[in-house]
This record gives sequence, C-alpha cells and structure tokens, in this order.
Amino acid sequence: MKFWAVRFGSIGLAVLVSFGIGMIAQGSSGTVSRLLALAGLYVTLAVSLNLINGITGQFSIGHAAFYQVGSYTAAFLASILLSRGVISNLGTPIPWVLVAVATSLVTAGIAGLFIGLPSLRLRGDYLAIVTLGFGEILRIVIQNTPQLGGSYGINSPKAFVVPYVWMLTFLCVGVCRNLLQTAHGLSFLSVREDEVASSAMGVNVTRVKVAAFVIGSAFAGAAGALLTFNEGFINVNSFTMDVSFIILTMVVLGGTGSVTGSIVAALTLFILPEVLRDAPAMPLNAVLGTLAGIALLVGTIRLAMDHKGLGRSIWMPKTYIGIGIAVAGGIVVSVLANCLPALANRTIPSAELRMVIFSAVLVIMMLLRPQGIFGVRELGLKSFFRRANA
Amino acid sequence: MTAGLDASALPQQLLNGLMFGAIYALVALGYTMVYGVLKLINFAHGEVFMVGTYTALFVSWQMGYFQGAPGMTRATSPAVLLLMLVASMIVCGLLGVAIERFAYRPMRKQARIASLITAIGVSMLLQYGGALVLPVSPPRSILEQVNPYDGNLSIPLKPRNASLAASVDKAQAEEKLAALALEQRIKQEGVSSEFDLSEEGKKIRAASQAAAQVSRDAESRYNESGMSLNVPYGQGIMFLATLGLMGLLTYLVMFTKTGRQMRAVAHDFDSASLMGINVDRIVTFTFLIGSSLAGAGAMMCATFLGTQLTSFVGVTWGVKAFVAAVLGGIGNIPGAVLGGLLIGVAETLVVWAGGSQYKDAIAFVILIFVLLVKPGGLLGSAKVEKV
Repeated sequence: MKFWAVRFGSIGLAVLVSFGIGMIAQGSSGTVSRLLALAGLYVTLAVSLNLINGITGQFSIGHAAFYQVGSYTAAFLASILLSRGVISNLGTPIPWVLVAVATSLVTAGIAGLFIGLPSLRLRGDYLAIVTLGFGEILRIVIQNTPQLGGSYGINSPKAFVVPYVWMLTFLCVGVCRNLLQTAHGLSFLSVREDEVASSAMGVNVTRVKVAAFVIGSAFAGAAGALLTFNEGFINVNSFTMDVSFIILTMVVLGGTGSVTGSIVAALTLFILPEVLRDAPAMPLNAVLGTLAGIALLVGTIRLAMDHKGLGRSIWMPKTYIGIGIAVAGGIVVSVLANCLPALANRTIPSAELRMVIFSAVLVIMMLLRPQGIFGVRELGLKSFFRRANA
Repeated sequence: MTAGLDASALPQQLLNGLMFGAIYALVALGYTMVYGVLKLINFAHGEVFMVGTYTALFVSWQMGYFQGAPGMTRATSPAVLLLMLVASMIVCGLLGVAIERFAYRPMRKQARIASLITAIGVSMLLQYGGALVLPVSPPRSILEQVNPYDGNLSIPLKPRNASLAASVDKAQAEEKLAALALEQRIKQEGVSSEFDLSEEGKKIRAASQAAAQVSRDAESRYNESGMSLNVPYGQGIMFLATLGLMGLLTYLVMFTKTGRQMRAVAHDFDSASLMGINVDRIVTFTFLIGSSLAGAGAMMCATFLGTQLTSFVGVTWGVKAFVAAVLGGIGNIPGAVLGGLLIGVAETLVVWAGGSQYKDAIAFVILIFVLLVKPGGLLGSAKVEKV
C-alpha cells in the first residue's frame, strides 16, 4: 500500500511541479519562458547522455545527433499536418504535439539502435568517433534534403510546451533513478565496471549496451521534438558538434554516473552563459590573463596533488605560493597581451566566452577531479543525513 | 553540366586526390604515432594543425608579405617558404609537447576515457580560445601572397583529335556571325534583345544561342578528345616535400636508436620501461615529431592550397586525417600514409561523381564502414583484448 502511495504521490507531484513551472512561464516574458523550456531540455539531454556515458560506461560524444533526429521528425510531421490542413499556422494543438513527441521518441530510439549495434564491436574511443561521425553525416544529409528545409531550416507552428518539457525531464530522471535501484540497473553498472567480468556473471552485455543507447537516444529525441515546438523554427546549426560537447561537459562536470550530478551541472552550465549574455564586453587582455592565471593555478594544484596525495595537502602553504604564481602569471600575460598591437585595447562580448568557459571547465575538471563534482554519488536527502549521522 | 561521368577528367581527379591525400597522410601520421605509443586519440592534433597554419601566416606577415607591403615579390620567396615551414614545424612541435606534458601526462594513470575527455577539452579550448585572438580568414590568402610557383605543369597523356579542331573553328565562326546578326538587330531596333518580342527578333536570338551552344559543344568535344594532367607547380612541390618528410620519418623510426625505442614503447609500454627505456622522453619525442609533421602539413596546406584560415580549420582536417589513420590501421605508420592517400582520392572521386555536397561526409561513411567490416584497418590487425 505504502509502495503504491509513494509511486502515485511522486508522479502526481512531478506533474504538479511541471504545471507549476508552466504557469510561471506563462506569467512571465517570452524570454524567461523560453529559458525555462531550454533548461528542462538540457537537463533531459544531460541525464539521458549520462545513462549512456556514465551509467553504462559507453562513450558517446554525438548526443546532439539524436536530439536532431527527434527535432526534425517532429518538424517534418508538423509540415505534413500543416499541408493537410490538420493544424494551422497559428499553433500546434497539444494532442498533436504529444503525437509528434511520441513519434520522435520512436525514431530517435531506432537511430539509437542503429548506433548501438556497432558499439558492440567497438571500444571506447572508436565508438566516440562513430557517434561523432554519425552526427556529421546526418547534418550533411539534412543540409542537402530540400524536404527538410535544406541548410535554411524548417518552420513548424509553435506550441506552449513548458509543462511537457518538465514532465519529460521528470520522466527521464525517474527512469534513470529507478533503473539504478533495480537488478536491470545493476547489470548496466556492471558493464561499466568490467565488460568481461559482467558477461562472465551472466549479464547480456549486448542487450545492456543497446538498451542504454536506445533509451538514452529516445529521450534525446523527445527533447528534440519539444524543442521544435518551443522554437517554431529549427535548422542544422542548432545541432552542431558544439551542442554535443556542451552536453558531454554537463555529464562530465556532474560526475559520470551521478544522475543528480548531471542535473545540477546541466542547470549550472545552462544558466552561466545566459548570465554572460547580458554582461558587458570584457577587455581581451584581462580575459587572456585570467585564463593564464587559471592554467597556472590548476598546474600548481595538480603538482601539489601529485607530490602530496589528495586531501588537505592542497591547502598547504605551498598552495598559497601557487596562487601567488598564478596571479603574477596572469598579470604578466595580460600586460604582455596589451603590448602586442594586434591585441591591445580589444574587447570581446562576454557571450563569446561561453565555449571557452565550457572547454576550460572540461579540462580543469579532468585534471583536478576526473570523476566529476559528485563522482558516482547521488545528491539527496538520504546521503545528506547519512553524512550527518556518520 | 554534362550528365554522367566524365572519364577524361578521371586521371586529373585521381592526381588531385593524391596531392590532397598527401597532406591528410602527413597529419594522420601524428594521430597514428601518438595512438601507437599512448593508445590515446589526440583530439587536439587538429588544433595543432590550426596553429601551424597561423604560424605560417604570421611568419609571412613578418617577412613583409601582407597586402600593400612594398618591395616584396614572389620571386624572393623560396627562402621565406622554407622559413615558414621550419617555423610551423617548430611551433607545432613545441605545442604538441606542451599539451602532452600539461594535459595528457597527469591523466596517464586515469581511465582512458578521462584522457579522451581531456583531449576533447584541450581541442575545444584551443579552437575557441584561438577564436578570441586570431584573425578570421585575413584578406587574401597566403596562396596569392607568397606562393612563387604560378602556373601548371601540363603532362599530355593523349593528343587532341586534330580533325575536331577544324569543326571547332567552323562552329566558332558561325557563332560569331550569329552574334553579329543579333547585335545588328539590337542596333536597328534600339531595344535590348531581351525585350524584343517580335517574331524576327526571337528567331535571331534563338539562332545566336543555338550557334553558341554548338560551338561550346564542339570545343568541349575537342578538349575531351585529348587528355592531359595539370599539376600546379606549388602543389607538385608540396607533394614532393611530403614524400621527403615521410621518408625522413621512416628513417627515424626504423633505423635510429630512438626510433627503435619508440617502436618498443608502442609494442609494450610497461615492458619497455622495465627494459630501461625512458618512456616519458620517448612519449615527448613522439609528440614532437607527430606535431611537427602536422605543422609541415599545415604550412603547405595554407600556402599551396590557399585554405581559408579560421581557428576551426583544424576540425575538418583533423577529423579526416584521423579517419585516414583508422582506415590504414591506427598505430601503423605505412597504414596512415595509405589511408591518407585513399581518403584524398575518395573525396575527389565523390566530387567527380557529382556529389560535391557530400564531400565532407564521405570520410565518415568510410570510417563507419571500416570499423564495422575491418576494425583493425587495412594494414593493422585487430588485437584481442586480454583480461
């Protein structure tokens, strides 16, 4: 009885929260509403990639491809409906949106199957390249298909999808969380830890890998469909390699394998550029100096870690020397940059720093804490209390 | 556009493919050497290439080859070209070593995926960091500024059909007559030909267009009856230099002590270190050589192919070169060369077959196909992973 109460209670709560976010979005400006939708989509993307990369230990760096499959499926469907006169240009009714989302879920899942099958033969880095290549092939094919709008893009009637975006997000998080608590989830984890050993223990490695790909890409596809109806217009530039790398950064930052980590990282990395968008332009030499300073600081911390081991040693007096070196180095670089005529007195819009920050975060994270902020741990009330009791 | 495949253009396309492929091969060598030694896909290799193209550009600017600079002519530039080549190789070599020392070496004890993510991060950092600082496709490529080797080396394969030459002359004479008639008509009526809608005007216009078409056809038939290979001198020199560098690399790897150590490390990293080989030094050396080869490729690509420079130029070149390395069998040096040449030829063949918009996709199609059919590559052997 309690089991079902908890289940239905949490589902009801999720739906309520989704519609609550929807109401906030409806009450606020178009920009805020769009951001709320995109935040949910990014969380979905990060969590679904985490299922493939973090939980199952495969290495996909082309997640945007599945996002793209879903998005174009929905847009194509909408264009057919529009030409048949089923929907009008004013907007897509919600039932049709849901039909499109379901279709995208299926097509992206099939695409995932298509990519998951070769993954049986390929080890980590090769698989990464295949997923990257799949995304590029898809982009080039879509660019040359007039039915899909070619390189211009494709229009589709908008719809207010914020609540559905968040429902999808809750569904995705719920599936991943519940998966980890069942025997099925254990087989996913065992494939990550050791493929050979888990197959010796009777885990069907093939099935697990393919299942991870299909589920992960199906969620990405559904997210893509909702993106289509949220934006009203999509083209191939929304699904470049950069998008894949951003999603990957979110997963890596949050800790590969930690669902809550992915959520936190996705929200943080999504909000950061939006804050930067409104920030004033920054002088180039200051940016370069900061980058150099961070690089030096990371270098010295890394050296301290290598020589003293992890833990409190980072905060030994030597570290203060390291910070001093970093600050001095940063200042030197920014002064030097100002001496070069080509670089002096140039400013750059803060929005252009977005990808620089993402990539710097990726490298720093890997050098200092390769397992991500949360590692494989989950952030939650339970772990909070356990920590307090211990 | 002529429909179907133009067989007479095939030899020329194959040659172009080989010349492109030589650059792919040069870049692929860096991927394959690093993979051989560290079992790591060096994603940042493409960005090393990018830095090489910009080094070449900046050196050429320093030597006075920028727009409107006085006193520099193309004739004086061979020495400058050599300087650009050496500078690119040195800068790229040092960059590669620095990346290895500060980004990859700390990750060596971690899981391989962690190194791979680091590599992706370094690559993106260089791309987007570079975009902040570097000029985007500066006006007039270095190709026009520095390259002293204008013109083509034309190698006739089959002489043109002389009897067709007469028909070309005849058709051209007729075309001229028809054009003259049209011109006169325009003068008479005082209206531009497009708006002349009278019966007679239409007839004259049609006749002129038909004559022009006949003349064009005759000319293309005449041209196609012969066959010749055109090699731009610059690209020819590029090809020879590439072969020279590959020869040098072969000597280095096969016949020197360092080369033998490198092969030992590639064969078995741990055993090599037990045998007294300074593994770190060899890894550094591998990055130095591989990256400087990429630098050489970058300089030649920027100078003789006139590639548009942006800080993202390394992405396409890098990925294609990586495909070349996988195609030949990653970790295998002759394989990288073979793979590079094959990718170059495959790309030009796709363009020749009329699919120029799919030129960039073919490398990935080949990649996926190779990985599915023969994951070890053409010259490599797939290793069974031991527990």
